[in-house]
Amino acid sequence: MRAWAASVEEVFREASARWTLLAYFTLSTLFIVIFALAVNLDIVNGALAGAKLFGKEVDLGGEKIDMDRLVLGFETGFSGVLFMLGTFLALFATAHLVPRLQEKGTIDLYLSRPVGRTKLLLSRYSGGMLLAAANLLYLIGSIWLIVFWKTGVAHPRFLLGGVVILFTVACLVAFAFLIGVVTSSTAVSLMVTYAIFFFAMLLSAREKIAAAVSTEFSANLVRTLYWVFPKTAELAQGTVALVSGGTHGVSPVDPLAVYGSTFLFGLVSLALATWRFSRKDF
Amino acid sequence: MTPVIQAEGLRKVYRSRFGTRRVTALDGIDLSVGPGEVFGLLGPNGAGKTTAVKILLGLTRPTRGSAHLFGIPVAAPESRRRVGYLPEGHRFPGYLTARQTLSIFGRMSGMERAAVKSRIPELLERVRLSDWGDVKVKKFSKGMTQRLGLAAALVHDPEVLLLDEPTDGVDPVGRREIRDLLRGEAERGRAILLNSHLLSEIELTCDRVAVLRRGKVAAEGRIADLTAQGSRYRMAASPLDDSLVSAFRESGASVERVNGHLVIGTRDLAHVNSLVDTLRARGAMLAELAPVRSTLEDVFVDLVRTGEAEEKTQ
Repeated sequence: MRAWAASVEEVFREASARWTLLAYFTLSTLFIVIFALAVNLDIVNGALAGAKLFGKEVDLGGEKIDMDRLVLGFETGFSGVLFMLGTFLALFATAHLVPRLQEKGTIDLYLSRPVGRTKLLLSRYSGGMLLAAANLLYLIGSIWLIVFWKTGVAHPRFLLGGVVILFTVACLVAFAFLIGVVTSSTAVSLMVTYAIFFFAMLLSAREKIAAAVSTEFSANLVRTLYWVFPKTAELAQGTVALVSGGTHGVSPVDPLAVYGSTFLFGLVSLALATWRFSRKDF
Repeated sequence: MTPVIQAEGLRKVYRSRFGTRRVTALDGIDLSVGPGEVFGLLGPNGAGKTTAVKILLGLTRPTRGSAHLFGIPVAAPESRRRVGYLPEGHRFPGYLTARQTLSIFGRMSGMERAAVKSRIPELLERVRLSDWGDVKVKKFSKGMTQRLGLAAALVHDPEVLLLDEPTDGVDPVGRREIRDLLRGEAERGRAILLNSHLLSEIELTCDRVAVLRRGKVAAEGRIADLTAQGSRYRMAASPLDDSLVSAFRESGASVERVNGHLVIGTRDLAHVNSLVDTLRARGAMLAELAPVRSTLEDVFVDLVRTGEAEEKTQ
């Protein structure tokens, strides 16, 4: 447990020393502050009677808008943006954890301690996850608090959207760890993981692609790849659906197919990363 | 006495990515180091020294053979609980201060936070980094990084130290301090395995050495025994004419004239006595006969050259 805590602490110390994380928090803070200062709402009896954006009146067409619906609409749309932003930034902040550990002259220092390789790798993974969770909590939590402060409306579902994003991050970081263990390169880990992220989104249209390809083999390959890779498009849809609560025309996803298969992808990636790391000669 | 470090028949073959090329880094070496012993591992580049140390730490798995620390197989992380390691060319995370580095690596060795915290000032004092405890490692010079590495190896008070080029980049005063520190640790019963290119350092620090050549142990023993093996003698006699030198050479001795005396390489003690008999039979007077001790460097160079000559003849 002591070794685990020391390893996690090191992940946080490293993150705090890196410009990327500092930039992430600065940008997030800037975004949150602008959002907090720019929007001024005039709420009468739970409905929006007037709004100002950057000090200018927003034309509401003379109608009173239900505040709860407005906030839900905003949070629903914003959760889609957060899914992409949160996932990308979390990957960016954690993809270096394995390649840096495996650097010549560094790995010996860690492996010469009485810590098993599996434990060492998993402690860095959990450190990375805690870091990603802290980032997401800061961004999502702050927005949620500001919305509550400005409107008095609180939707806990918006916070739950962060859990889906964290789940997606956990599966993708596991894959980035696998690539990191094999290649020892942060750049390659990031490129391959981002590529998988977008490729998997394309595969959500698997039936259309399968219909367009010339052979049955290719069609089956596309369908197989869809089930192998994480369901990034559906996870984004799942986040939005969770936040909207089934309103705004976003249909929920099949939990077993989407979350189950993505979880399996992450689990197999992490298992393979651990297996390769524990057998590698340094 | 039970050895603290023990390796038997260690063999390591590195294969290229597709298995097309094979390089034998170690070819069946045996090692044994007892408590309180300072053992030096020598050899030219590529002899297998670092591979041997990496196997002892579980960083690399042997192709064949076995290695134990305190009787525990090196594959088990538990075998490293009482081991301190200083790798060559180590790179501590530059964003950590010296104090943070020792705290993190101390706790990774199983120490409690409070125990590490109380030990750090003493350790920094021992390696002369007291004033640098709160400075980030990236600001350190090479010698300071090396001394921090030594402190990190000692942080959990290990019973075995495996040190790869511990004085690399350290100034002469610092070297002496590190030597004294290592001797002090040995006197406390710590076993030390030292891997260094600096033969003078090895000669001053180690009790016993093994010279590796092409993955095999070419020589092993106490430094005093290895350096005395040359059977070379300094002889002063009168007269020392050319016919006497020729007679010595005919007997199989190597003879060198140095500043009015001879340096003679002999096979054994009987050979030396026969040369003295030859000298007396020719009516010469023996003035001085003393063994010439080789330096560790002489032994090392001879072993390496002998190996190269053998390879050429094969």
